Amino acid sequence: MLGAATKRSAAEEGKPTMTGRPAGRTSTEPVTATGRGAKTIEARDVNLFYGDFHAVEDVTMTIAPNKVTALIGSSGCGKTTFLRSLNRMHELTPGARVDGHVSLDGEDIYGKGVDPVEVRRLIGMVFQQPNPFPTMSIYDNVAAGLNLNSRRVPKSQKDSVVERSLRGANLWEEVKDRLDKPGSGLSGGQQQRLCIARAIAVEPEVLLMDEPCSALDPLATLAIEDLISELKNRYTIVIVTHNMQQAARASDVTAFFNLDATGKPGHLVEVGATNEIFTNPTQKQTEDYVSGRFG
Amino acid sequence: MPEIARAGYLEELASLEASALGGLDLVNIALGRTMEAVENQDVELAQVVIADDDRIDGRYLEVHQSLITLLATQSPVATDLRLISALLHVLKGIERMGDQCVNVCKVIPLTGNYAPVDPRMVELILKMGAHTRTLIVQAKRAFEERDVEMARDLVRRDDAVDELNRECFHLALEIGDDADRREWAMTMLLAARAIERIGDNAVDIGEQVAFVVTGLFREFEDASHPS
Repeated sequence: MLGAATKRSAAEEGKPTMTGRPAGRTSTEPVTATGRGAKTIEARDVNLFYGDFHAVEDVTMTIAPNKVTALIGSSGCGKTTFLRSLNRMHELTPGARVDGHVSLDGEDIYGKGVDPVEVRRLIGMVFQQPNPFPTMSIYDNVAAGLNLNSRRVPKSQKDSVVERSLRGANLWEEVKDRLDKPGSGLSGGQQQRLCIARAIAVEPEVLLMDEPCSALDPLATLAIEDLISELKNRYTIVIVTHNMQQAARASDVTAFFNLDATGKPGHLVEVGATNEIFTNPTQKQTEDYVSGRFG
Repeated sequence: MPEIARAGYLEELASLEASALGGLDLVNIALGRTMEAVENQDVELAQVVIADDDRIDGRYLEVHQSLITLLATQSPVATDLRLISALLHVLKGIERMGDQCVNVCKVIPLTGNYAPVDPRMVELILKMGAHTRTLIVQAKRAFEERDVEMARDLVRRDDAVDELNRECFHLALEIGDDADRREWAMTMLLAARAIERIGDNAVDIGEQVAFVVTGLFREFEDASHPS
């Protein structure tokens, strides 16, 4: 089962709140060790639609802080759609609709008056294809979120955030001498780590990753997996992956999604500790999927 | 939902299971011949069993290597992973059972060309052998049928083998002071002990059946903390 979440209110810790700026802490404060800002996501009775099409049905699960939760399942089972509902990106698709509740440490992210842009700052997303801003330098790519999100930030403070974020993404040593060069000049694996640096520069609580390694070679993939393992000390991480061995290697908790037939909504079949899912799952559907009986 | 069974991989896994469990048939044949050699003090037949142990060792090496290859190339998980782990244990057990038959056969020349000092000990050992052969058959069937109850029943049947072994020991204690008679009795005790171990190996295979089915490994009986 999922580990127990340690719930603390944002106000107690002076942490950023959903609707306000970080209280009592500037964006350049050093990141401390475990559990800095990781929060619990609760999804309850989540149903997702694209127009009339019911894409995801009745998902209820708790995503624990400081753990990596992998969402696995065959194509079309709704795992990416579900992931995108966790930071209100689903609603960006025309006609898309969300029913049910998603909360971050008890705060409804779909609540009235909640700014979706602020939700997406707290719950960052890393995509399948590395997507650095092509015309921007490495430095500006990392600082982009600050420029978009914040009031004017002094250069020295920005330098500090860029370095901290690049270090956090295990990229600093590789790029520190060419921060003014275009981000698009980096290798695929470096570009993905740059995108992770960009995501953590705005100090999120949660990182959502949608197949972050599917466009990368095996070595770059392992570098990202190592990074994910470090990042979980500070963030709640949810990763969608088609690579079951990656789910087995890199996650603590695995959730298996499936759909009964094409055109039917995807649903959550089973969620549990990754070692249980891959050695002794309770559901036959899960067993068949992780064993490669279908896919 | 499109079914894309990994037909080749699954066939290979099933075939390796059949080969591994076929090793129990080889052990059963070896133990049958071993008992015949004990009964008749047949040194030549004992030599055949010793030479034939290469077949059991060969089966162990061949299936073990193929299972390792399957692990490396197919990334088995869940039941498949538990099955492969169990088969690796079972193979080791089979190899040990074959070696115990060899151990018995090696002491047959030491029992001499005279009539048994105490025919009751030979009788007990033959009974142990017969019981143990049924254990081997039952272990194989429990594994093939994934029958945990049948696997657990191996403990009860193995208790009978253990009891016969103890009876052997008591007879040896009463064999008298004559050095030749004592040497014979000690030799027969070695044989009895080897057969008793084959029974234990069969119970171990039963424990692996429970692991494959339930995902939990529990010793049916804890030798260090008997109930």
